[in-house]
Amino acid sequence: MHRTAHVPRLALAALVAVALAVVAVVASVAPAAGDKTAAEGTLVVDTSFVVQTIDPQRMFEPTSQIAVKGMYDTLVTFRGQSTTPLPWLARSWKVSKDAKTFTFTLRRDVKFSDGTPLTSADVLFSYNRVINLKGSPSFLLAGVKVSAPSKYTVVLRSSTPNPALLRIVPNPSLGIVNSKVVKANGGTDAVGADKTDKAEPYLLGHSAGSGPYVLKSYNNKTEIVLEANPGFWGPKPTFQTIVIRNLPAATQLLNVQRGTNEVALDLSAQQAATLRGKSNLKVITNASANLFNIDINTDPKISEVAANPHIQTAIRYALDYPSFVKLSGPGAVQAPGMIPTTFIGHLPPSAKIKRNLQKAKAEVRASGISNPKITMYYPAELTINGISFATLAQKTKSNLAEVGIQVDLVGKPVNSFLETYAAGKHPMSQSYWGPDYPDPNDYLVFTPGGLAANRVNWAASKDPKLAALAKKAQRTVSDTQRAALFRQIGRMMNQRAPFFPLFQPAQAIVSSGNLTNAVLGVIWPLDVRAVGTR
Amino acid sequence: MARDSAAGTESGRPRSRAPWPFFRFLGRRLVALVVLAIGITFVAFVLTQLVPGDPALSALGPVTSADPEAVAAYHEHWGMDKPLPVQYGTYLWNLVQGDLGVSQLSHQPVLDDLRHTIPATMELAFLSIAFAIAVGVPLGVIAAVRQNRASDHALRVVSLAGISMPTFWLALLALYVFFFRLDWFPGGGRLDPGTTPPGEITGLYTVDAVLHGQFSLAWDALHHLILPALVLAAFNVSLITRYTRSAILEVIHDDYVRAARAKGLPERTVVIRHVLRAALPSVITVIGLVFANVLTGAVLVENIFAWPGIGQYAYQASLELDLPAIMGVSLFVAVVYVTVNFVVDVLYGVIDPRLRLT
Repeated sequence: MHRTAHVPRLALAALVAVALAVVAVVASVAPAAGDKTAAEGTLVVDTSFVVQTIDPQRMFEPTSQIAVKGMYDTLVTFRGQSTTPLPWLARSWKVSKDAKTFTFTLRRDVKFSDGTPLTSADVLFSYNRVINLKGSPSFLLAGVKVSAPSKYTVVLRSSTPNPALLRIVPNPSLGIVNSKVVKANGGTDAVGADKTDKAEPYLLGHSAGSGPYVLKSYNNKTEIVLEANPGFWGPKPTFQTIVIRNLPAATQLLNVQRGTNEVALDLSAQQAATLRGKSNLKVITNASANLFNIDINTDPKISEVAANPHIQTAIRYALDYPSFVKLSGPGAVQAPGMIPTTFIGHLPPSAKIKRNLQKAKAEVRASGISNPKITMYYPAELTINGISFATLAQKTKSNLAEVGIQVDLVGKPVNSFLETYAAGKHPMSQSYWGPDYPDPNDYLVFTPGGLAANRVNWAASKDPKLAALAKKAQRTVSDTQRAALFRQIGRMMNQRAPFFPLFQPAQAIVSSGNLTNAVLGVIWPLDVRAVGTR
Repeated sequence: MARDSAAGTESGRPRSRAPWPFFRFLGRRLVALVVLAIGITFVAFVLTQLVPGDPALSALGPVTSADPEAVAAYHEHWGMDKPLPVQYGTYLWNLVQGDLGVSQLSHQPVLDDLRHTIPATMELAFLSIAFAIAVGVPLGVIAAVRQNRASDHALRVVSLAGISMPTFWLALLALYVFFFRLDWFPGGGRLDPGTTPPGEITGLYTVDAVLHGQFSLAWDALHHLILPALVLAAFNVSLITRYTRSAILEVIHDDYVRAARAKGLPERTVVIRHVLRAALPSVITVIGLVFANVLTGAVLVENIFAWPGIGQYAYQASLELDLPAIMGVSLFVAVVYVTVNFVVDVLYGVIDPRLRLT
């Protein structure tokens, strides 16, 4: 037995020795991992990838927008979190009085990364390609016809008054591509491009833009690497290389603390709050333009309880809005109406709906329905701005139980949720809207007969007065008049619309302390070309 | 499958004929693989169709998906406008020609996606399994040989903890300690940010970098590989330790072991050549299971360590109902399982002559 014990002890000792040796070698030979995360001249952007493509005219995902915004220029742009359109490729523009015709005059000194001058033909090609590909961003130019009357003039004609167009054009999906290069690689802007365009594989491996960066490598699962365009026509960017890296939020939290020249885009407000006070980091939290809300169906065939106006009013006053805001953490705000506080036409804080349990209970009694019961659907696995829809749904259920409304929750995978939601089959939904462009016109979908209103069967005929007002707002050109009209619509909606605006969640961006202009954009998550150092 | 090897001599056949049964066995397995692959594609296809939901809705976004023309164009582009039997038949026809279709999520051929994700997971899995075997088997032997002594108790407690600990938690903890606190390992990914991967030969960065003579790149790849591989190995080290221990305890008191000791053989020889060899078939079976654990555990580890492997790919494909990608992953998993089972069966015969194929 003496030997029996001896052999394993030796083996055990050997194992421990080997393990220690490996760790020691790794620790001593490897340079400090944190030092390697960002070489000099490299900006590392950590984000949880949501990317299908970086073909500008097909993409509409946040991660793609970061990359595309760095490689392609747009006619007009925004700076920081401002939503005021500023000249970029277009040095000036004119808008007709009816807001149907927009004439842009292009700069003459712009060149693509291969040296080809950018002209109106490239704008015409890019915009028509967006329209005819019929992809995710094609709705941006719905009803718009594009022409190029001269080498440096582009005209957009909208079939209906479209005062929002100047705030649509900065979208990175409307970035201008080098038409010669894209055509040479199978691209087309002709009608039927959705079937005949073959340029996407090329654009996943190469860029064809005039922006400050060109594509070095693209991997939709790991990282997208951009390199400075040596022939860029505008001010040189600070960083030679941009690495957009796919990391989950928990890993971003650790990486941004160790890195230099690093930005974390997906931390929740609570996670960001833990980093406040660290001298090597800059933490910004504020209210996002995203909007969490509850929708209720107005069609009695779907649910008699949900369609009852008294029940709808009861729900409006039963919801504990401040506690929803608390869920999102510091920086979140209660949405005063369906238009976020960042856009013109939003309601003042005084217009916010306030909880009133007595009134809610009285409305339940007035409905004449005993023990009202509603089924609420929500996208089960979806989390936005760090907030799980499942948590929100539970909170809604408990709020409504306090006034005697029983809510049965049904969580579904996003795709299944969207299918029945779009068909207007949900009695009630825990829902969400992110801006497609920073203009109140994007929120007309919630007015009677609009896209979102149709999902709760709220046709224009059900509220003609509100529908008429919405139509008027859509066609009004002056921002001052539009703001007044949208506020009027907002107040009416807060009283009778089948939508209950809950809150705008907090959003956070954490960056290395030496970085400047690392701010969350309203449309794109981050403008890498603007990020600099102190 | 198995029969006493003595049968070969009983029937009077010379041993040189032994390879033929092996090839018959191999042929049967290959046929089974083809049948299984077709079955897998059918089940995956039917299940994906049964899930209510249209991928076009999330792919196109809320506004564009309200345009029936855009949805129709999407369906046509991805072949979803055709009757289901036609869709399935087309898929099989393309599959026979080596075309797995194009992923709706990545807009790239599924074959290309798999070509990048499979080696990433395999690199992780190989190191993880090698570590699990290298550590788990000796620890199991130690625990069995020192049964009911302090070291046995300690190993049993540790292995129980290893099995019980959630992998995602362990991954976060490892990242916190070894990356954030100690700065010994990098914080995720296969290479440092912005590093150009080695030219593709095997897809395993460590191997490819060595083959190209890029040793600093090989080190970078290995440095990134170690921590996730160790985390992934934790569960399997415990599993193998426990199984090895119980397999050895089953045979350690057998007569032939006593006879070996009585012959005066050194204890090391008795343990390694007689006890461990007899216990190995059970251990090999567990190692087969370990492959399954690695593939399922990889989903979480790959997510935390931003490792672009098959686990992450499968997870995203399932969420988005990306049918071509789901089918591609299902086929890969089927091939892995059949191959692993095949290798395990062959190893039985190699280890234990009584189990050789007839």
